Amino acid sequence: MAAEIPAIEIRDLRKVYGDKAAVDGLTLTVPQGCFFGFLGPNGAGKTTTIKMLMGLAPPTSGTIELLGLPMPGRSLDIKQQIGLVPDESMLFDHLTGGEFIEFVGRIYGLDRSTARARADELLDLFELGYMPKKLIAEYSKGMRKRVAMAAALIHRPKLFLMDEPFEGVDAVGARLMKDILLDQVRHGATIFLTSHVLEVVERLCERVGIIHEGKLIAEGPMSEMRGAAETLEDAFVRALGMEHAADTLDWL
Amino acid sequence: MTQIGAIFWAQWRTLYHFYPRRGVAWSAVVGLIWYGLWTSVAIVMLRVFSNPTQIPVIRVALPGGLLLMFLYWQVVPLLLATTGSSLDLRKLRAYPIPDSQLFSIEVLLRVTAGIEMVLVLIGITIGALLNPALAKWSLLATAAYVTFNLIIAVGLRDTLARLLARKRIRELVFFFLILAAALPQLLMARRGLVSPQLQLLMARDSWEGWPWTASANIILGNRLLRSLSVLSAWTVGALLFSRWQFSRTLAFDADAANASSSETSRRSWWIEWFYQLPSTLLKDPLGALIEKEFRFLIRSPRFRLVFLMGFTFGLVLWLPMVFVPRGPLGEFFVQNYLTVVCVYSLMLMSDVCFWNAFGFDRSAAQFYFLAPVSFRRVMAGKNVTGLFFLLLEIAMVTAVCAILHMPLGVRRLTEAYSVAAVVMIFLFSAGNLLSVRHARAVNPANSFRTSAAGRLQATLFAIYPVVFAPVLLAYLARYAFGSQTALFVVLAIDAVAGVIVYRVSLDSAVQTADRTRETMIAALSAGDGPIAD
Repeated sequence: MAAEIPAIEIRDLRKVYGDKAAVDGLTLTVPQGCFFGFLGPNGAGKTTTIKMLMGLAPPTSGTIELLGLPMPGRSLDIKQQIGLVPDESMLFDHLTGGEFIEFVGRIYGLDRSTARARADELLDLFELGYMPKKLIAEYSKGMRKRVAMAAALIHRPKLFLMDEPFEGVDAVGARLMKDILLDQVRHGATIFLTSHVLEVVERLCERVGIIHEGKLIAEGPMSEMRGAAETLEDAFVRALGMEHAADTLDWL
Repeated sequence: MTQIGAIFWAQWRTLYHFYPRRGVAWSAVVGLIWYGLWTSVAIVMLRVFSNPTQIPVIRVALPGGLLLMFLYWQVVPLLLATTGSSLDLRKLRAYPIPDSQLFSIEVLLRVTAGIEMVLVLIGITIGALLNPALAKWSLLATAAYVTFNLIIAVGLRDTLARLLARKRIRELVFFFLILAAALPQLLMARRGLVSPQLQLLMARDSWEGWPWTASANIILGNRLLRSLSVLSAWTVGALLFSRWQFSRTLAFDADAANASSSETSRRSWWIEWFYQLPSTLLKDPLGALIEKEFRFLIRSPRFRLVFLMGFTFGLVLWLPMVFVPRGPLGEFFVQNYLTVVCVYSLMLMSDVCFWNAFGFDRSAAQFYFLAPVSFRRVMAGKNVTGLFFLLLEIAMVTAVCAILHMPLGVRRLTEAYSVAAVVMIFLFSAGNLLSVRHARAVNPANSFRTSAAGRLQATLFAIYPVVFAPVLLAYLARYAFGSQTALFVVLAIDAVAGVIVYRVSLDSAVQTADRTRETMIAALSAGDGPIAD
């Protein structure tokens, strides 16, 4: 029964800023246990969508259900079951990485000793344990993403919402993160991520959605999206109608 | 409880890490001095309030004292919020914490921002309880007054935080806050204008409806029921207001607030004309460099605020000395107020115009080292931009003075502009050297000025007397010879010397930048930038 309930169900979602619709009538269903890649060019509406899913921005109209529960109506129950890799600005800059992970664990209801023990293990796993006194403010972009990912894992959530989790992360870190995420999916978790790194999305995701100017322009299983001999990048560029953009400048 | 404990723990860790980590001993010494000072104040209060002979003094001073505490309690959280040492509870919206719990935590966190006032109030309370001439209601009054302050602090802080998150409005808010801080001085100087109202607010006989007057009355045992009702009403009102503001803050979407319609965001032709003015007058690459500086500075909230303050705050600060001249310097201020205000406005603009020319647009510094343009030209472009805005600032000061019908005249104008010109030459000379030797990243979006690093402050402390020495010499010449001509002759000599010094310092700055480019870029990549913010 539980498997029939989609992890994410979005109906006619809209978010308007001024007179511009950042997200315009988005309808999308992500089944449980799915690794879903949400793609789009810069300013397409990916981050706005994920912010609405996380409950950080109220939609202008439309409905969101996560794990069968309405957002924001049952937001506390939903939030208890999701792991977030948000925008970097959501981190607490004046805490160390270990303190932040422990803090998030305790916010999710873990007792202090468990939260601290898991935080230490996660710090080591993400190779952040060698500088325990370094503040998040002093972290590089990649380190900030790692610490956010580590914090998202501490309470073993059922659904992960990730905004550009691989941005600025080095090859070793990205490989580690990919392995962890695939392992989570194998154990039944659902992952919804946005990323500009199409190679990573192609390798990890089962389903993909492409958003452009706030509208979902393509959605489906990876194999269908990229066609017979295409890469995801080819399919993505074709979907956006940008195949020959470089040819427009005669002098170049 | 786990969540509440975790949030308080995170706040404690944030405060612990926020201040420069100079070791436990340093923190202990600073803490001991600061809180020792406030504990001493609390002990003095205890002694005063426990002494029956001091009742007449207490009756007069208590309402005003409680008002000052209220102001302290409301201002400090605002400062902490802007410096980032206060935990931003909005970041917890993504986590499973009920809003009501967040509000309670926010209220309790306000204690940390006003711990000094709690100490003083404890002193007052114990003193009042020990005083046989006072009723034993001080504990109740203190508890109620602390509750009121904690609750209202949340609402005021949230209201202001949302205003500060809105583009352009934030500069206006800061401007009015800073102006408000300077206004009492002006109002006191203009005795007879507002002074009676201020006195009424502070005095024993102030309106009984104020929460500080009601609290004072409870401590003194006056009109107990009425005062309790007043304080309760204020507390309930504060609770409603703060809950409302807190929920609005939680739901606040800065992107939506700052979104503008395509109509309003359409750039006005005149601002585009202004941006392109340097390119019209000067050839590229200098024209392009200056045009970029124009665009960047005008779009920077920090620059806009400082520019606005230059011709407003500077006047508000110095005008009381013109209205009410006191002491031997009083007459000097009356005669030379325009010069003083102009030079002061140059000082206000110093951080954005010359002391740290590369700190604002730090990524551009890296570009300048890569681009096929000489660093000398880059620095010249920065100086021309700085010079333009400083001259504009002085023109604005003059215009405001003219609007206020302040005495101007050819002599005053010539003197003020000549002095400002000489000071500017030396400021740019020193600024070029400091900009490459002590480059530091500054967040252009942060309207609040963060103080410079200790080493830079020490350098500035040594540089200012040198920069002002030539102008002081000119004034000494006027004093010695009793002639305005002597002043202008020395200023002319200063200007010639200044040009030579400027050329030498520019060469030196260019060489230093070439030699230390790696250190400079590293310094500009760290610290208080938009990313770190």
